[in-house]
Amino acid sequence: MLESLLRATLLGLQLGVTLALIAAGLTLIFGMMDVINFAHGALYMLGAYIGLVIADLLGSFWLALLLAPLVVGVIGAGIEIFSLRPLYGRNPLYHILLTFGLAIMAQGIIVEIWGARSRRIPAPELLSGSVSVGPVTYPVYWLFVLAFSTILIGTIWIAIERSDLGILMRASAHDTEMVDALGVDVKKVFTAVFVFGAALAAIAGVLLGASRSVHPGMGFGVIIEAFVIVVIGGLGSFKGAIYAALLIGLVIAYGALIAPALTDLFIFTLMAAVLIIKPSGLFGATEAA
Amino acid sequence: MQTSALLGTTAGIAGCLGEGDDTLTVGYVLPFTGVYSLLGDSIVNGFEMYVDEQGGEIDGQEVEFVSRDTEADTDTGVSVARELLVEAGADVLVGPVSSAVAIAMMQTVENESSAIWLNANAGDYRVVQDGCLPYHFRTSFNDWQTSAPLAPWVYENVADNIVLTYADYAFGQNSRDFFAEAFEEAGGEVVDEVTVPLGTDDFSPYMGDIEGSGADAVYSFFAGSDAVNYITQFHEFGLDEEMVQTGSGFLLDEDSLPAQGNAAVGKYSLLHYASNHERTQEFVESYREEHDETPNVYACQGYDSAQAFELAVTEGGTDPDAMVEALRGAEIDSPRGDFSFHPETNDPVQDMYVREVVEGEDGPENEIVETLETVEPPTWGCSLD
Repeated sequence: MLESLLRATLLGLQLGVTLALIAAGLTLIFGMMDVINFAHGALYMLGAYIGLVIADLLGSFWLALLLAPLVVGVIGAGIEIFSLRPLYGRNPLYHILLTFGLAIMAQGIIVEIWGARSRRIPAPELLSGSVSVGPVTYPVYWLFVLAFSTILIGTIWIAIERSDLGILMRASAHDTEMVDALGVDVKKVFTAVFVFGAALAAIAGVLLGASRSVHPGMGFGVIIEAFVIVVIGGLGSFKGAIYAALLIGLVIAYGALIAPALTDLFIFTLMAAVLIIKPSGLFGATEAA
Repeated sequence: MQTSALLGTTAGIAGCLGEGDDTLTVGYVLPFTGVYSLLGDSIVNGFEMYVDEQGGEIDGQEVEFVSRDTEADTDTGVSVARELLVEAGADVLVGPVSSAVAIAMMQTVENESSAIWLNANAGDYRVVQDGCLPYHFRTSFNDWQTSAPLAPWVYENVADNIVLTYADYAFGQNSRDFFAEAFEEAGGEVVDEVTVPLGTDDFSPYMGDIEGSGADAVYSFFAGSDAVNYITQFHEFGLDEEMVQTGSGFLLDEDSLPAQGNAAVGKYSLLHYASNHERTQEFVESYREEHDETPNVYACQGYDSAQAFELAVTEGGTDPDAMVEALRGAEIDSPRGDFSFHPETNDPVQDMYVREVVEGEDGPENEIVETLETVEPPTWGCSLD
């Protein structure tokens, strides 16, 4: 029992931090740009597929982890500049429809290029096998994912809280017009945030692509969880996304322990409960609006 | 796929216009989009490869193909089937992939009674139990075949106790039931079962339960990306060292093995197809030449559907009842091995292969450990003869 609990906790945390990587970008993009980005799951999936190609060509997982986010970042810049930017200031519905369309297009392109077979990015030799964590046998690779994602998320958190760029980002999210009036090119900040979000999703894609299968439906599954996290954490709140991601990760892991078929029910019940008690989410800032 | 679907449509309209023509119309009721598109495409590839080998003609008649996407949805499947039968004047329906679609289509096929139906995949036993329809011929398998016959083999060769793990939907549940029953009948004990929702990416929460069952072996039903995730994570969690993995052949098939990699090695599964069977080689080579990949079981099912169609037309023309007569109990020279239609159910009676994944030259591959010859499936009360 204790063993199952410990395993589920490790697992929930690992799942939580990887979900945080995805949800962080989603919430920043929403917070700053008011864009509900349904294409975010597609960027995660693109990260995995591009990682697959790089790992195949260069024979290195590490280069895939480094380069795939850069490539996806460039694609993200293209998406932001050429498709999202012309629609700023309009009803958010335009962005929802646009990004949903982009997600479907991405899936079509992926099936066309790579086919519908499931694939997997080979994990590095160095991280193969499993180790004992107390009474639990746990794969080395998964511990690596846990550590890597935690460090990355922690670094980003500190950067957003402390650095000038982070202050600028938070300020832009809070009051775009004021920042614009102060002479900052908000357009560039928007592009940068979108690129950053896309790259984070791609990192998650490569990380998970080595322990889960890479397949054309992977983007749609993850986007629902990511949106639930963003809503629970409070729309646009980075801190909220992290807490909510860990919470959802643990709910999924414990849920699978108690009643696997009901995991989705637990997740949405949690979301409903949070929204009833605190309609703006855990760290939502309704008063700022 | 879009283009070929479009070409199919034009060919279908042309076929309609030429009344009393001497062309044959094949109607594909298959998924060409979404997660099951891989299966739909493979079935079409197999079917058309056989027709191409006959110079594009069957019994001296040209063949036209009309493709309709079922989207693996029951309502769409029914309307697609009706459209193909009524408007396109199909002489044969090929498909579907999903058993839910097959069960939904049944009434329509029976009402129209205008064509034979070659079920190139949908394997739920209830298609036969509930339908028991003379026009329905299964060129694929039924879910009893890919689970039950493995049980006595596992009991004799692997372990006398087992934990069952399966994807929680009709196919997974049927596989569990059939296996458990046969395993207990053989004298074995099912110590536990672990149910996993269909479409799970992360199997690690279930690994503890599997390990905790203390069983010496596992029998599983998972397919597609579930199979890749399950096998990979089973290996990552070190369960290979504690128990022997067995399962239906879909767990370790040609589509999943490349992604599963070394994690698949040493695992056993049962299927009606093995791409390294002597008899299959010719089929595998010509398929590879055309599509640059090892044909999967679905391609073989498509290929055999075309063979069945040829046999039906050669002996029965285009009269559906004469075609049914021609196919009843017929044998087909299948690349998969011995194959004939059961005279009571029109289900396949075929060789089943116990396969072990071994390290091949180009990565892991299935090696036949034992051939279970022409395994006779149950009839579930269906009696067409």
